[in-house]
Parts: sequence; structure tokens; C-alpha cells
Amino acid sequence: MRDGYRRRLETLHTELIRMGALCEEAIASAAKGLLDELPEYRERAVKLESEIDAYEREIEALCVKLLFREQPVAGDLRQITSAHKIITDMERIGDQAADIAEISAFMAGSSVKSDIHIADMAKAAIKMLSESVDSFVTGDLEKARGVIESDDIVDDLFSKIKGELIGSIANNPLLGEDCLDLLMIAKYLERIGDHAVNIAEWVVYSITGERKGSA
Amino acid sequence: MRRRILVFTCLLAAVSIVLTAVLIHMAVYRGFAERVMLEMAAESDLIVSAVNLSGVAYLQSISESGSAPRVTLIDRDGRVIFDNGWDASIMENHMNRPEIKQAVEEGIGEDIRFSATISRQTFYRAARLPDGKVLRVAMTTDSVFAPLPRLTLITLAIVTAVFAAAAVIGTRVTRRIVAPINMLNLDRPEENAVYAELAPLLSRMKRQNDIIAEQMDEIRQRQIEFSTMTDNMREGMLLLDDEAHVLSCNRSALELLHANSASPVGKGALTLNRSEPFYLAVERALGGYPAEEMLAVSDKHLRVMANPVRNGDAVCGAVVLLVDVTEREDREKLRREFTANVSHELSTPLTAISGYAEIIANGVAKGEDIPRFAESIYDVTQRLIAIVGDVMALSRLDEGVGSLPQEPVDLDELVNLSIQRTRDIAERMRVSVHYEGGSSEVRGVRRILDEAVMNVIDNAIKYNVEGGSVRVTLERLERDAGEGVEVVFTVSDTGIGIPPDEQERIFERFYRVDRSRCDAVPGTGLGLSIVKHAVKLHNGRIEVKSDGRRGSSVTLRFPA
Repeated sequence: MRDGYRRRLETLHTELIRMGALCEEAIASAAKGLLDELPEYRERAVKLESEIDAYEREIEALCVKLLFREQPVAGDLRQITSAHKIITDMERIGDQAADIAEISAFMAGSSVKSDIHIADMAKAAIKMLSESVDSFVTGDLEKARGVIESDDIVDDLFSKIKGELIGSIANNPLLGEDCLDLLMIAKYLERIGDHAVNIAEWVVYSITGERKGSA
Repeated sequence: MRRRILVFTCLLAAVSIVLTAVLIHMAVYRGFAERVMLEMAAESDLIVSAVNLSGVAYLQSISESGSAPRVTLIDRDGRVIFDNGWDASIMENHMNRPEIKQAVEEGIGEDIRFSATISRQTFYRAARLPDGKVLRVAMTTDSVFAPLPRLTLITLAIVTAVFAAAAVIGTRVTRRIVAPINMLNLDRPEENAVYAELAPLLSRMKRQNDIIAEQMDEIRQRQIEFSTMTDNMREGMLLLDDEAHVLSCNRSALELLHANSASPVGKGALTLNRSEPFYLAVERALGGYPAEEMLAVSDKHLRVMANPVRNGDAVCGAVVLLVDVTEREDREKLRREFTANVSHELSTPLTAISGYAEIIANGVAKGEDIPRFAESIYDVTQRLIAIVGDVMALSRLDEGVGSLPQEPVDLDELVNLSIQRTRDIAERMRVSVHYEGGSSEVRGVRRILDEAVMNVIDNAIKYNVEGGSVRVTLERLERDAGEGVEVVFTVSDTGIGIPPDEQERIFERFYRVDRSRCDAVPGTGLGLSIVKHAVKLHNGRIEVKSDGRRGSSVTLRFPA
């Protein structure tokens, strides 16, 4: 029976890696759809959202099953509860990537984005997510803490983009709509960064048992 | 083993104690009973002779002394005449008692009977008096079973004591017996000096040890061979078990996948790479089908080939091979672009030719226009010839010049020749050309070097502005680290310049910085590509400097 338990625990880990990989792909596709104006990537991002949702439900069921049937303790319990929390963040990331893809469909051909540092921000958010998933995959405490610290970079980029957009609207009020869309996208990217930080915090918790006091 | 020895010792002790106790008791009792019988015989003889002397009255006197035995006088018919313990009148007829019967028949009768409880017994001795009456003497004593409770108690106490002693001693003894066995050095069984009984076991162990060591050596050797082989492979190789855990993984695989985990063995394959294609390939292979996928890791393209490993019918794992196909992929992309460009470059002039020819053939063209059309056709054809010539030059370079003869070539001579050949264009564009330099010899293929020098100078003039200038220098320079001398050929112009992010691309075939100028400046877009190949073939280097606005300089360095 314990053997089966170990296997289910490992399945949980594998499924979570898969879900993380899909999130990475979703946000990368959304960014590509936005920056390179490739509609097939936008569609991919939207399609991935439902796949990510399916994974969330599946992993949720697995977590509950493990909790009730095996009544795990200590490290295993932490691993399962943190997995249960991580999938919520991942699901949100999937939603936001799909939202970005949808908004960027309206922005096709707009010149605003080339002037704004949105590409940098997308890159930073992707890097954060990818590192938080990495830290989860390998159980790398240092990497997880690195992600938590790098939250400021995305936050700073968001305020910078906000400033740039205000300037852009002042110069050319006709671009107002595009600018607001871009602000939304920037906000979504910033939220994705926050979710990546959350994931990293849960990784730290599952390894050390420490929860950030403020959270 | 220790336990068994202990239990056995204790049982043995207990059984022997109980048996001994019982046997001793039986022997002692036997002696006791015989002595009682003898005493009784003596006593009864005494009483009988006393009764014979003084009559029955004597019996009365016995009853008065307390320690006297019980005496009964029985008449010939069995009726009790006298008893010193009981009332004779109520006693039953004694004729049937065995001792009486015996006494009547033989003169003396004896019997032992248990009393109401088995713990007491009565000895009877009857003797026939001369008058035919029988005198019986009885004595009651403890029976053989009387001391049993006490005896059992004592035996139990002794057995308990023996058990305790046996436990202590047995533990010590077994420990002492087992100790040398536990101390056996199993790595070198033959060197142990213990019980002779163990010698066959030890020698067999030694034989087995030898066999195991031999097999281990062989396995280790194979392992070394295997890892040497796989670690020196350029392809990445992964061995997975049926649940996609990594069983073995070579260095290239870790490098290709950018996996930083020190030892992936035992972990899931997804920890190495979690991308969709990799997952699909592994999944498919573990499902029993070979799979091939393309994988992008940072800027590299990897081909993933996953094959199932079967044991009988069941899939018991997978072998995953990773091949870096970045170069091939890039080259293919270049080739596709080149083909597209060639087709475009060739079709444009051909369309023009066909158009003019059609007009003339249809008779639509006026007589006086025909020479102009012919001239256009001629121009365009010249351009086609130039393109085809360049493409052929390039493909010759692609094939390599290993076969072409190398000779000492004076670049000074080539530069002068090229300036002469471009004089017409320079004059037309009103571009002045200045040349500084002297005889500088390099080893190489004259025709190819000529083409390279010509192309650089030609470009500097063609992409210049009207009234601009071109500065050509040729010098021999010591190399930095004293690695000999090199010939440096530099052409600087005052032309349109090359934007920094395009400086890499100008050497691509058909690439032209400003597409809008393409028609204004005749050119095939192949010139710099030819230069690049020519320099590469002579182990030289190219440097391009430009701020992207005005002027640029191209430097070719050849080892002298």
C-alpha cells in the first residue's frame, strides 16, 4: 500500500511539472502573439488555458485523495498542501496568459508597443515563472528565494511602463485605447510575476515548513 | 539459536530434577513400608504370645496405654470379640477381610489398605491363635502420597532455581559459542580459526567470494567502458525505466538540456526538461512506440529520438537520444532563403526580357523603339549574367579551394588593378579614390583574392554618395602577440553606412541594407558573400566598422 502511496505522490509531482510547463508555454505564446503579432500563438495561449484548467481539477482531486486516503504527515503533508496551493496560482497564470492573448488581438498593428518596454516586462515575467517552476522541479531552495526577491524587478517595470503610457497618451490622445489595453497587459504580467512569487513561497514552505509571516 | 540452546538446557534440567525427585521418593518409601511391616510382625508376635500367656484380659491392658497399636480379636466365625479402638458390638463381620482370610488359612495374614483419604494407609497383620481366633494388629501411617504436596513444592523451588541458573549460564555459554561466529571475517573466510565444524562452510564461502569478486570486476569494467563510451558521445543519451525515472544519463545529455541538477539518476525525466515535445516523445516510447520530436532549448534545436526498450512483450524502459541539429537547421534555413532570393533575383530580369520580347514579337513596338528595347534587354541580360557568374563563383567557393593551386600573390598589384577597373564607375559617381600602400605578398589563390579585393572596392564606390571619397590602405602589421605578420587591407568610404544591427547580415547572400536603393545601385547582393568566403578560405578575418549614418570601413586581414 505504501508503495502505491509513493507512486501517487510522484504522480502528483510529475503532473505539477506538466502543468507548470503548460503555464510557461501559455505565457510565452501570449507574449509572442503580442510582440510578433502571430495569431496562431494567440490561439495557442487561449487553448492552453482550458488544458491548464483540466490539469488543475485533476491535481486537485489527486491531492484530496492523497490527503484522505493516506493521511500523510510532515514533509509529505507539506508537499501535498503546497501542491494544492500552487495549482491555484498556476491556474490564474493560465487565465491571465489567455487574457493577454485576447487583448493583444485588438492591438494588432498598433505602434504603441514598440515604444513601450512591454517586451522587457514579458521577458522578466517569463523568467520568474520559469525559475519558480525550476525551483519546484528540482527542490532548489536558493532558486525559489531568488524568485521571491526578483519580484521588485517586475513591479518596477510596471511603474515604468505606466509612466511611459501616460507620456504616450499626453503626446497623442488618439492612441489612448491602445495605451489602456497595454496597461492592462502590463498589469496582467505584473500579476503573473506575483503568482510566480507565490509559487516560489509554497516551494520554500514545502521544503522548510516556513511560511512567510506577512503572507 | 541462542534461544533454542537456552530452552533446551532449561527443559533438560527440569525433567531430570523431577525424575530424580520422584525416583528417590519411591525408593525411600519402599524401605519405610518394609520396616513398618517388620515392626508390626514383631509386635503382633509379642501380643500373640502375651495373649497366649495371660488370656484375653491382656488386651484390655493394652487399650489403656495411649501409644499402643490398634488390636482386634476376631472369633472363628468372623465376629469381632474385642477392639481397643472401637465398640466391638457394632463392628461388622470381618471374615471377608483379606488379612483375616489369609490368617485363617495360613496362620499369618497381611494387608495394606488406604484409609478414607489416600494420604493415610493402614497396615494390617493378623495371626491365628491356637484356639482358632484371629488376633489382628493394625497401624496407620502416612501413605506414599502424603509428602507429595511438600515434595512438589520443594521440587518446584529447585526447578525455578535451576531455570534461573540455566538462563544465566546458558546465555553466557551461548554467547561465548556464538561470539567467534559473529566475529568471522567473511571477506577472508579462510583466515578464520574457529570451530572445525565450520571449516567446510568457510571454504565454500571463500569460493563464492572469489566468484563474486570476479563478476564484480567484470561488471565494473563494463560500467567503465559504457560510461567512457557514452560520456564521449556528442549525442545526449538517457536511459529511462518504465516510470520515466532516469537510470543513466551521459554528460552530453545534461549539457544539451541545460540541466543543472548534479545527478538526475533516480529522478523523473521531466526534471531534465519539461517541454511538451520531450514529454510526448518519452510518453510515446514508454507506450511502446518509437518517437521523434524537435526540441528547442534556449537557442539550440535538438532532435529527440525515443525508443522503447522491451523485455519480452512488456515495455520496461526507454532509450532517449538527443542530437544537436542547430547547425543543420540553420544551414537549411539559409539555403531556403538563398533559393527564394535566387529565384526572385533571376525572375525579375527574365520578366523584363520576356516583356520586351513579347512587345517586339507582337509587332506592337514602333520601329524606332526597337533599338531602345534591345538595349534594355541587353542591360538586363548583363545583370543576369553577372548574377549567374556570382552564384557560380560562390558555389565554387562552397566546394572549397583545396584543389586550387596556391601561389604567392601581391595584393598591391590586385588593388591597383581593381582601382583601374572601377575608374569608370567612380568617375560617373564623382567619387574620388585614394590609395596608400606598397607591395604586400600573401599566399593564396590569385583569382579568388582578386574577386574579394575588387568587390570591396566596388561596393565602397557604388554605395557612396555623389562627390564622396574612398580611401584604400594596404599595410603589413606585426600581430599582437608576436604571432607573425599579417597583411591588412582597409577600405573606408563616406557612403550611406551600415546600421550596427545589420552589420552581421551584410555577408548573407542577396542581403542588401537598403532595399529601396536596390534598383538605383546595380548589384547582385552576392559581392560581400563572395568576400566573406574568400577571406575564410585564406584563414583571414573581416571587420566592419560603421556608426550606421555616414561612412563605413571594411578591413580584411590575411596572414602573411
